[in-house]
Amino acid sequence: MKRVPCSGCSLLCDDIIVRSDGLFIDEVIGACLKGKERFDQLTSNNRILSPLIKKNGVIEKCSWEEALEKAIEIIKNSSKPLLYGFSNTTCEAQLKGIELAKAIDGFIDSNASICQGKVLEVAKTTGITLTTVAELINKADLIVLWGANAAESIPRLLNKILFSRGKFRMTGREIRTLIIIDPVKTASFNVMGVRDLALQIQPNKDLELIRVLKEECCVAGSITSEGVAGLDKDDLKRLLLHLSETENGVIITGQGLLRPQSGANIIEELLELIQMVNTKQEKGRISLIMMGGHFNMAGFDQVALSLYGKNGGLQFKNHQLSDNDENIDSKIYNEDFDCSIIVGTDPISHLPRSLSQKLAKKPIIVVDNKNSATTYIADIVLPSAITGIEVAGTAYRLDQIPIELKTILKAPNNIPSDEEILVKIIDKINQS
Amino acid sequence: MEMLLNSVRMVDHDQAREYALGDEKSLEQNLPIGMLNPRDFEKLNLTASLHLKISNKNGEIIVGIKKDENVPQGTILMPISIWVNQLTSFESNEVIYKNISVNVEATRDPITSFNHIINSMKSK
Repeated sequence: MKRVPCSGCSLLCDDIIVRSDGLFIDEVIGACLKGKERFDQLTSNNRILSPLIKKNGVIEKCSWEEALEKAIEIIKNSSKPLLYGFSNTTCEAQLKGIELAKAIDGFIDSNASICQGKVLEVAKTTGITLTTVAELINKADLIVLWGANAAESIPRLLNKILFSRGKFRMTGREIRTLIIIDPVKTASFNVMGVRDLALQIQPNKDLELIRVLKEECCVAGSITSEGVAGLDKDDLKRLLLHLSETENGVIITGQGLLRPQSGANIIEELLELIQMVNTKQEKGRISLIMMGGHFNMAGFDQVALSLYGKNGGLQFKNHQLSDNDENIDSKIYNEDFDCSIIVGTDPISHLPRSLSQKLAKKPIIVVDNKNSATTYIADIVLPSAITGIEVAGTAYRLDQIPIELKTILKAPNNIPSDEEILVKIIDKINQS
Repeated sequence: MEMLLNSVRMVDHDQAREYALGDEKSLEQNLPIGMLNPRDFEKLNLTASLHLKISNKNGEIIVGIKKDENVPQGTILMPISIWVNQLTSFESNEVIYKNISVNVEATRDPITSFNHIINSMKSK
């Protein structure tokens, strides 16, 4: 029996018990549905076990030499390579990804740039108060899920922070208030108790709600009798009371808050609201947690920030970081690339068609361990070992805390890790 | 009928799981599915055997239907997948996954297949 962290989602639960003889995993205890699926991938029929190459429009198996040779040929013929993904791999591989981008004068970005990386981008100007899962377990008395369906995205998050008994919250769930702000009555609403606050707001009205709360913070009595965003006056007052009276509150943001509304940046307005409430607060404070899905989405931000002071969208020219304000979306939309190297993600499925179609037009090299829509379109597929089961390394949890992933089994067919594949490509580029 | 489309993460309709552990059949059973409020279901004169044609300026897909009382009226929820991303958009340098205007109608045409989407990408 071995205790290991799970790489099923960005919560990186480090209390999973695994029974293994080193060849197979016999039992996994404590994993949620997502965690179980991660372990099931080991023996999945859709696992990619040998390199693939596209010949005459058909993708077929080939040798590692042939696949790497073709990949290097694509990269060498490219003047504007694009590197994307890196949220489902270790920080060590992310480091190598940035090294490769520098070596080939490419543009590198992670999935975070269309997800919670946007919050960090805004935080550079507004500032941000973050907190950790351990802090929430031990101290939280208020949890706000805003545009975030934790029950289905990060299945064990509420178990840990809402139902657990912490050092300073011995009564656990009874003393914690849950507020959910969402236009859809998601599965997370099912855990609400009588003293919790379910706020089903009208779609696209988050900005109005934030602005009214900000006004009320400045001048009491600014909430009109009709309420706002489909919420009545009493609910709004209760919401503000909870926010301003909490000793240790957290707002967990999801994808639902990332869409700009009425030309304004909601995240910027939310961070300002938190600052205003915290200034007014006498007893405690409110912090933020960004709920990303991929298990090491926060890692890329940390690696890129520590190397270059930018959390994504790194453009290299003459092997130096060059100034640019672009992100992965604008690069693809403007077709400012001539080949792409995709690591551990599936942009053909994840991006809107207006972008994925443009991506599909240019040569694609994929590094991944399972089939996806992108591997169907790719020119080269390089199979990699499963991080967190067959490969050890560092990953950052959703609360920006580093967790050490462990190796439980050896990868079949001596499949290399993402990091090893990227090192091979860098070596071959440097040799040529 | 004009509605708002939201792509959402759902544990029971998870794209990552389907790619990793499912097959083409399970992919097409679990992901091209639109969840509607029962009142919208009635307004659209839908029955269980019909499908839903969802379209906007970005594209058009045909998906299965599921009634869900938790979905607000005027809204369709779809699990995050290649299907819903035929309709999501890119505006003012931002990818838009939520509250997208779409036109919705009942149809007897078959559900858009995975291969159809992939082939349409390959051909362009």
